[in-house]
Amino acid sequence: MATIETQQFGTLQFSDDAIFEFPEGIPGFEQAHRFVCVERPGLNPITFLQSADDPGICFITLPAKSVEPEYELDLARHDLWVLGLAQMQESLACLAIVCMPQDAAPTANLLGPVVLSRETMRGVQAIREDSRYSAVHPLRSTRSESASGMAARAASGDSEC
Amino acid sequence: MLIIRRRRGESITVGDEVEIEILETSPTQVKLGIRAPKHISVLRKEILVTREQNRVASGSPAVDDKLNTLAEQYRDSEGGIESPEPITPVVVSPEPLPVDPKRHS
Repeated sequence: MATIETQQFGTLQFSDDAIFEFPEGIPGFEQAHRFVCVERPGLNPITFLQSADDPGICFITLPAKSVEPEYELDLARHDLWVLGLAQMQESLACLAIVCMPQDAAPTANLLGPVVLSRETMRGVQAIREDSRYSAVHPLRSTRSESASGMAARAASGDSEC
Repeated sequence: MLIIRRRRGESITVGDEVEIEILETSPTQVKLGIRAPKHISVLRKEILVTREQNRVASGSPAVDDKLNTLAEQYRDSEGGIESPEPITPVVVSPEPLPVDPKRHS
């Protein structure tokens, strides 16, 4: 059993084989190599991605297919290699990191989903090589504060020229 | 923005140290070769955007009512597709909802 302290959940206990190895960390947190998936009762389909190395690093994620039912995962060869896989598999979990800034509408990163392999227990944030999806995909919100989210999306959309 | 027309095999330089060569083109893609010294970071812009998003995402404290709302908004849309097997193993936080914002120590 492993025990870690977290800011979000207090003390978490789990078996050692629950840890996903991120050989390259994730962008912005390259030093974070081990994560566990945490669920909280009543919050389905949200999965929290909690760092096992740093109590303060925790991401809120939604399955990419929950956000965008037609979502198609596309993995670059390098990302497959990081996952330790020879080829694409059906069983990969594909989670979009949710960004919930206090002063703006929530967004999800569909351009770079976190992909987890249960077979190899590895993970990678796989940034797509096409621009089919946005890194700041606006999420449904009950609040009427989506304007800034849309602005951010528009701003990111002009990178192609 | 400076706009330059180039053909396959041609290059442009940026400063004295960076050279960008057009290796291949297709109707939808361009393959570039970039020669730059090690101290210059060459990244796809999406990686920079994702890095910034990740920093904001990890820094936004998960307030319970916002999480509840988010979960409710997406709970129904999960079905329909061949339901993916759950990501196992999953650690279930012992803390049920609703939760006192003061986390247990």
